[in-house]
Amino acid sequence: MPTRSLTAVDQPEPTGHKHVKMRRFCMALIDVSGTLHIEDQAVQGAVEAIDRLRASGIPFRFVTNTTKESKRALHNRLSSLGFHISPEEIFTSMTAARKILEAKKWRPWLLVSDEALEDFEGISTDNPNAVVVGLAPERLNYANMNMAFDMVFNRGAHLMAIHKSRYYQTKHGLALGPGAFVSGLEYATGIKAQVVGKPDAAFFHSAIPGALSTHKLNEIVMVGDDVRDDVQGALKAGLSAILVKTGKYKEGDEKTIEQECTFVANDVVQAVEYILEEL
Amino acid sequence: MSNTQRWLTPDIKGFILDISGVLYNSSGSEGGEPVEGSIEAVQLLRQNKVPFRCCSNESTASCEHLCKKLGRIGFDIRPEEVICPAPVAYSLLRERNLRPYLLVKDEVLSEFDGLNTTNPNCVVMGDAQDKFSYENLNRAFSVLINSPKPVLISMGCGRYYKETDGMKIDVGAYAKGLEYAAGIKAEYLGKPNPSFFGLAVELLKLKPSDCVMIGDDILNDVGGSQKAGLKGVLVRSGKYRKDDEKRPDVEPDGVVDNLLDAVKQYLNFKATSA
Repeated sequence: MPTRSLTAVDQPEPTGHKHVKMRRFCMALIDVSGTLHIEDQAVQGAVEAIDRLRASGIPFRFVTNTTKESKRALHNRLSSLGFHISPEEIFTSMTAARKILEAKKWRPWLLVSDEALEDFEGISTDNPNAVVVGLAPERLNYANMNMAFDMVFNRGAHLMAIHKSRYYQTKHGLALGPGAFVSGLEYATGIKAQVVGKPDAAFFHSAIPGALSTHKLNEIVMVGDDVRDDVQGALKAGLSAILVKTGKYKEGDEKTIEQECTFVANDVVQAVEYILEEL
Repeated sequence: MSNTQRWLTPDIKGFILDISGVLYNSSGSEGGEPVEGSIEAVQLLRQNKVPFRCCSNESTASCEHLCKKLGRIGFDIRPEEVICPAPVAYSLLRERNLRPYLLVKDEVLSEFDGLNTTNPNCVVMGDAQDKFSYENLNRAFSVLINSPKPVLISMGCGRYYKETDGMKIDVGAYAKGLEYAAGIKAEYLGKPNPSFFGLAVELLKLKPSDCVMIGDDILNDVGGSQKAGLKGVLVRSGKYRKDDEKRPDVEPDGVVDNLLDAVKQYLNFKATSA
């Protein structure tokens, strides 16, 4: 398990509270779709649970692989569902992808939905040398897949996946995620995609503010409904992880991964209760 | 360049030919261009009474349709000389009493006539080309994820192939994508499944070691036939790339420029060793 340098773990944090509460976790990362809300409905009690978490002083971020919508649209949507969240508290795989594109000076061909394009505004897409795959049902078709293959296989373009989710929850049931198309392209080209979002360890690590870098990784807890991308990904990255039984959760999911979940909660409300428990 | 043709031995009595990239490069459902010399190569095999079969993972057309298509560009190939995975899939579905969701081109649906496809409990996929839309793949995914015992049958596991206007992703990529999404393993019919080569060898009434497979797919044609006990020869036509000759996992028993090159070398070898 990866560890970080440890300096002051045994000493209480200066919190401003007179009575220093001993808790398991110093930060929470919380998944959005299927955990905070399902489609256009907040999970019952989730708004209040996030408020309680904020009041406790434990910092948190919403980490999401959503690639259908921009950060701004996501913030608007969560606000309209009643959540009290600031845009800075949202950390998406598209933000992470953009950072990498800029750092490496890659010019992307963006297989992302129209809405998501605004998160890439200003990046040069002329003469592209990278294929970037997100969740774009309207663009993931035979012609574009062949084009993506040609760029990567014959013209040496980079292959980047905004995330590699297997499926996601909709009102009509589970729907195919971009992971299917990414792994198909990987198989056809024989080239591994650079996966940006969950469950990539670097994604979890980059969501943690520098100020917390002296803490043990397992004092940071990930909460989500996806046993692989949220839970297994976080555990492999050295974090703790709580699986919630909402969204895409299927009975017995917790038994399908090698490592053991830190906790299995009925929903995000119970997960927050667990996080706030005093030791 | 070392030009070892280890496959040229007195044992070799029959040829098994890949179609796409060896006989011709397809340009879609109706036409294509013969690979240079291949029409003559097939004629030479017939004239010299060298038994052969065509062994293809082609799933964009029925065997009959494929032979007609080859006929239009100058080949003389009969349906009974062609082995494709669709009839194998059909017998398997019958045998196991499965109701398939068929993710195949419309032209291939007739190969599955008579099967019950209502309320599907498995997915059968071929190279569906334009039908590989998000909607159709999502429907296949739904069948698999909602099934207590998901069955995914793929007619071939090819990665890509060449058409006249460029390389195309093959059915294998979409099957792997569904495997990944549904967390299951597919059953792959066709090459490189050893039993598929076995079918061709059986029809030739020969032993595997008597046969040579000529193909442009280093893994499925060459590696696959070698695992089934045949000799595997790579052609430098179709989707061939230089790197194919340097793979650490598959070493072909010979590399030839095209099918005609292979047939001429074989006939020469027979004439001089006789």
